[in-house]
Amino acid sequence: MALIEARGLTKEFRIFRRREGVLGAFKDLFHRNYRTLKAVDGIDFIVEKGEMVGYIGANGAGKSTTIKMLTGILVPTAGTMQVNGYVPYRDREVYTRGIGVVFGQRSQLWWDIAVIESFKLLRRIYDVSIDDFNWRLKRFNDILELDKLLYLPVRKLSLGQRMRCDLAAALIHNPAILFLDEPTIGLDVLAKSRIRDFLKEINREYRTTVILTTHDLGDIEALCPRVAIIDKGKMLYDGSVESLYSHWGQDKLEDIVKRIYQGHRPGSVKGVKKGGVGLA
Amino acid sequence: MVEERLLFRQRAARYFVILKSYMAQYLKTKMAYRTDFFVQVFSDVLQQAVNLIFILVVFSKVPEIKGWTRDEVLFIYGFFLVPFGIYSGFFNHLFDVPEKYVLQGEFDRILIRPINAWYQVVVETMKPELMVDIVIGIVIMVYSGRAMNLSPVWWDLPLALALIFGATLIYAGVYTALASLGFWTEGNIGLMPMVYNLSQYGRFPMTIYRGPVKFILTWILPFAFVGFYPAALLMHRYEFTGYALLTPAVGIICFTVAYRIWTAGIRRYRGTGS
Amino acid sequence: MHEGNSLKPAPQTHFMNRLLLYLELVRMEFVNNLAYRASYFTGIFNYSIQIGAYFFLWDAVYSGQRVIGGLNKEEMLTYVIVAWVVRSFYFSNLDRRVGTDIRDGKIALELIRPYSYQMVKFARAFGEAIFRMIFFALPAGIFIYLIRPFGLPPGWHNTLVFLISLLGSFVIYAQVSMLAGFVVFFTKSPSGVYKAKRVVMDLFSGLLLPISFYPDWAVKVIKLFPFQTVSYMPNLIYLGKISGAAAFNVIGLQWFWIAVLALFSALFWEFAVKHVVIQGG
Repeated sequence: MALIEARGLTKEFRIFRRREGVLGAFKDLFHRNYRTLKAVDGIDFIVEKGEMVGYIGANGAGKSTTIKMLTGILVPTAGTMQVNGYVPYRDREVYTRGIGVVFGQRSQLWWDIAVIESFKLLRRIYDVSIDDFNWRLKRFNDILELDKLLYLPVRKLSLGQRMRCDLAAALIHNPAILFLDEPTIGLDVLAKSRIRDFLKEINREYRTTVILTTHDLGDIEALCPRVAIIDKGKMLYDGSVESLYSHWGQDKLEDIVKRIYQGHRPGSVKGVKKGGVGLA
Repeated sequence: MVEERLLFRQRAARYFVILKSYMAQYLKTKMAYRTDFFVQVFSDVLQQAVNLIFILVVFSKVPEIKGWTRDEVLFIYGFFLVPFGIYSGFFNHLFDVPEKYVLQGEFDRILIRPINAWYQVVVETMKPELMVDIVIGIVIMVYSGRAMNLSPVWWDLPLALALIFGATLIYAGVYTALASLGFWTEGNIGLMPMVYNLSQYGRFPMTIYRGPVKFILTWILPFAFVGFYPAALLMHRYEFTGYALLTPAVGIICFTVAYRIWTAGIRRYRGTGS
Repeated sequence: MHEGNSLKPAPQTHFMNRLLLYLELVRMEFVNNLAYRASYFTGIFNYSIQIGAYFFLWDAVYSGQRVIGGLNKEEMLTYVIVAWVVRSFYFSNLDRRVGTDIRDGKIALELIRPYSYQMVKFARAFGEAIFRMIFFALPAGIFIYLIRPFGLPPGWHNTLVFLISLLGSFVIYAQVSMLAGFVVFFTKSPSGVYKAKRVVMDLFSGLLLPISFYPDWAVKVIKLFPFQTVSYMPNLIYLGKISGAAAFNVIGLQWFWIAVLALFSALFWEFAVKHVVIQGG
């Protein structure tokens, strides 16, 4: 069994459409207009241990919803999934011990206290032994150069510094899978490359599986041999970055992705459309 | 069975350790803003002082209110402050759930951590310094108890603990239920302050209320059980003993129902079965 | 027409233009609040619950008593209802607004604008107050009157002076709130200050207890502060306990305190702005 195995994963939302004006608000009191939105529509997603997969798509394509299902936050409308031996939404409290999550837009650290204090609290939350904790902290320190940051409150950190700390925080319990939702958003070139190096190192050293959503294709080029592309809730492509180039006959990833988002579909991609293609 | 019990014990120990860590964390945050911490505590004491002044001034004008003397009303108020202090310290900020957690999406962060979600929200939002009300309450109880020559008996203490336990669960229950509504309304609808003000009715003898108010405070939003009923029994006035003894049961029922609503709310947040 | 264009120095702003700006702000805030009507309806129930608590209490307190502190039972019940209904008009959370501006550093942004920060805040608070008068205080008053009729002012003269005194109540409450908000220059998360302000105002304004209930020494102390002109004195005008020239004196007293507070607030502002400049926000 693969580490992540999701089949036919679907998520629908019911969206309540407000009517305009006072009269509309009044009507809404009695009868609401609902519209069903398929945010994720029957995708298959299989990932083996130690893989690094880039998960991309235009805004609103369904990336975040997929991540939220895989991390156990949302319950899928249909489909089956098993991750790290658990059903994420059902076994949430046990399952989440084995994963790390970083939301680029939102820090998990406590705003007003020194970073190290957040780490200590997370140690308790994830039940990490003091030896493991110290060892990992030292290791992260070596690569991310945290030591100057550890004693500052989060609000005093720059975005890049904060992200380095957030990454370390998400890995303090050595999770089998690391989910990253836009981890490089808003970072400068140097900060980005530092984060990429760290992820590579962690992946090599601990065989941590990494699932990463991003709008920066540089992240994909630097980190992910495999890329999955989602559009309007459907999986458009799931395979190696290399074969993506050969199918499209373009030499810049950005151009390929741009064309995909614009709705172009080359005939030759058909064969690789359905799940699990391009596994190592 | 044995295994389950062991598991439960492990879990309880773990949760206790987490509570301690959060407390330590909280203290460090507060020490970063020390003045503010003291201003907060000071304003809380001030609030209680005002409530106290109110009672004292009123009783400087009249000897009793519907058969309740100054010391008796003070005693009720003192008892009221004990569960109220626990509530202020731990459950008042369930208030944040609709806006901060549901609307702004902070609840995602709660769900990716391996701890019970309700527990996490409670320890994240607690303000333990507000438990200062407990101390004020006990001082008032001791003072007024002495003033009315109350002679303690052996069962006073265990009884008081059981009553405080029940009253605290009522607070926890009502506020959990209200917070849970946030999963549906996705934002505040202003019910919390309303219920808070209603809870303040529990500070005074139920005998002053007329119409359906007494019924509502006993059976719908049972704030008569967080102050008056148990306090009457503890000062050995036995007209309401039946009600007073119900306090723990009312608390347990209240919290159980509320927790069900909470879980239903989470199911909705995570999009189960829609 | 505009001959020499943008390079010309800005014309000296005319008093009328300023006034129009502030009036526009009043209007804007009023309209803004229309969007949140729903929360005002729950607010009315909220106030009713609070009024109810004191209503029952005073009803019980007066059960064996005819007159306390110069008020009989019916007057006392009217006092409580009017005091709370009117509070829904003059109450403002300017402290919170100003405090948030300071904490988030928005105050620096406000300082580069060509208007008086304090006046802008007052104008907006006033817009909200008018809104609350129409959609909150009035319906709440009527709602309560239908459940339990209460006394009305003894004549048009008292009614008029009472209404004028409400303006003073609003301004004084807003000024005190603004001063409480300035405290955020010195402390970071100020909820304690807001609470302290509210509690002190509720007690010393006479909202919770008529000032005549306090012992003499306390009455003397309270007289040294502007608080009692916010609730206690307007209520007495409403009840007809203060009439004629004495009622006008209350208005005069209110505006005396408004002038004192304005001076105070200007000095504080001057000091605080320097503080901001030095601290960099």
